Amino acid sequence: MTALLELEQLHYRFPGSAEAALRGASLCLEAGQRVALVGRNGAGKSTLMLHANGLLRPSAGQVRVAGEPLVYTRRGLLAVRRQVGLVFQNPDDQLFSASVVQDISFGPMNLGLDIAEVRRRVVEAAALCEVRDLLDRPTHALSGGQKLRVALAGVLAMTPRVILADEVTAGLDPWMRRQVLAIFDRLVAQGVTVLLATHDLSAARRWADQVAVMEAGQVVAVAPSDAIFGDAALRRLIGADE
Amino acid sequence: MHIIDRYAYTNAIRELDPAQKGGLALIAIILCLALDQPAVGVLTLGWMFALAVLWARVPALVFGRALLAEAPFLLLSLLGVALSVSLAPLAAPAVQLGPLWLGSSAESLAMATRLFTRALGCAAALNFLILTTPLLDLIELLRRLRVPETLIDLMSLTYRAIFVLLESLQRMTTAQATRLGYSGPWRAMRSAGLLGSQLFLDAYRRSQRLQMSLESRGLSGPLRVLPLDYRRDRRARWIGAALAASLLLVGAWR
Repeated sequence: MTALLELEQLHYRFPGSAEAALRGASLCLEAGQRVALVGRNGAGKSTLMLHANGLLRPSAGQVRVAGEPLVYTRRGLLAVRRQVGLVFQNPDDQLFSASVVQDISFGPMNLGLDIAEVRRRVVEAAALCEVRDLLDRPTHALSGGQKLRVALAGVLAMTPRVILADEVTAGLDPWMRRQVLAIFDRLVAQGVTVLLATHDLSAARRWADQVAVMEAGQVVAVAPSDAIFGDAALRRLIGADE
Repeated sequence: MHIIDRYAYTNAIRELDPAQKGGLALIAIILCLALDQPAVGVLTLGWMFALAVLWARVPALVFGRALLAEAPFLLLSLLGVALSVSLAPLAAPAVQLGPLWLGSSAESLAMATRLFTRALGCAAALNFLILTTPLLDLIELLRRLRVPETLIDLMSLTYRAIFVLLESLQRMTTAQATRLGYSGPWRAMRSAGLLGSQLFLDAYRRSQRLQMSLESRGLSGPLRVLPLDYRRDRRARWIGAALAASLLLVGAWR
């Protein structure tokens, strides 16, 4: 079985930065996985996610989606973004429209779908993220948790096979966090893979099937969460004992 | 800003097609300008007040306050019309202030009245529109009227950015105030300056992150989104007809 998303030996240095952000990072995701991505600030988690979506282009290494190498052309990028969705940490960076409906519709419209299909997808994604009753509200009248779920719906409406979520549970109360993780679980049940970058180690341990550990631009370990949290050296590395 | 926005989203005719609401306001403005009579201006004010308060259920006080906020601009510009200033002595009624004569005449007063009522009617019509129609819907209306997409995109991004930056502004002001940044006029001025430059940087970084997130959702050229759905109300046509007829009647009667 081919992996859904493969990141192979990625190297990247931000322009004007002395340190490389990625130094040979590799990660392989299969369908229907719940993966937590942990590691210190600056370990390269966000940079890795930006590569998986084609927003950054590695100086060396390769990104493959369903076995196909990512082609950095307009068409190639649209193809990868149809399959790999990215949810950002701060929903205010993602929500560009004052209308909830219009914001969620942006992704599917870009896929060139007809209006009826876009409408159907907007409603479906909104229902999945429990924001159906917010569709007619202006974006600026929503709470933080509501904005996050709308941002998530905007990505889900493109029906990606992989969701990359960058620290989306940070700053949420326990109830809201559980609600977001429950949405992810529903997606995983449909065969979607979710990669969640997080500092919330207890949530990572309880929720994830697999935990990937990043350190200094590399993925140093990928294993079932019990194995990661059972390893004294890895526990120290990710700060589980602090 | 906030209060107008709130009523725009919560009034009783929020769902009504913006073309219908815009049409009513446009009829009022055109007739007000074309007929150019005090009675027409006053009648327009009455109509718009009634539509906003009785039809859209916007509180009378809110409508009045919006109008009151615009009044100073109106009055200031009227002064120039109603009063004439001259170095030479003016016929009565006039007063002498040092070398200057300050006077007014029946014609200039009549002119000022006409201007005042005309502007008042137009302002009331615009207030009716903005208190019942969110900017979002007005932008949607412009989109339907085939205004260039670049302009539409700029408008919708700006409208959204206002609220995002307002939040940043509030956070930063609080952060400065807790460190006594506003204790004393000098410090306040310095803090406000810092705030301005930081807000600019904040907006710049935000725009970069927004660009990334839009690209990750397949941005290609203009921002394409679903058109919004509206309710069309047959009554709007009757109201429009009655509005036009009454303004024309009053205009012709004089």
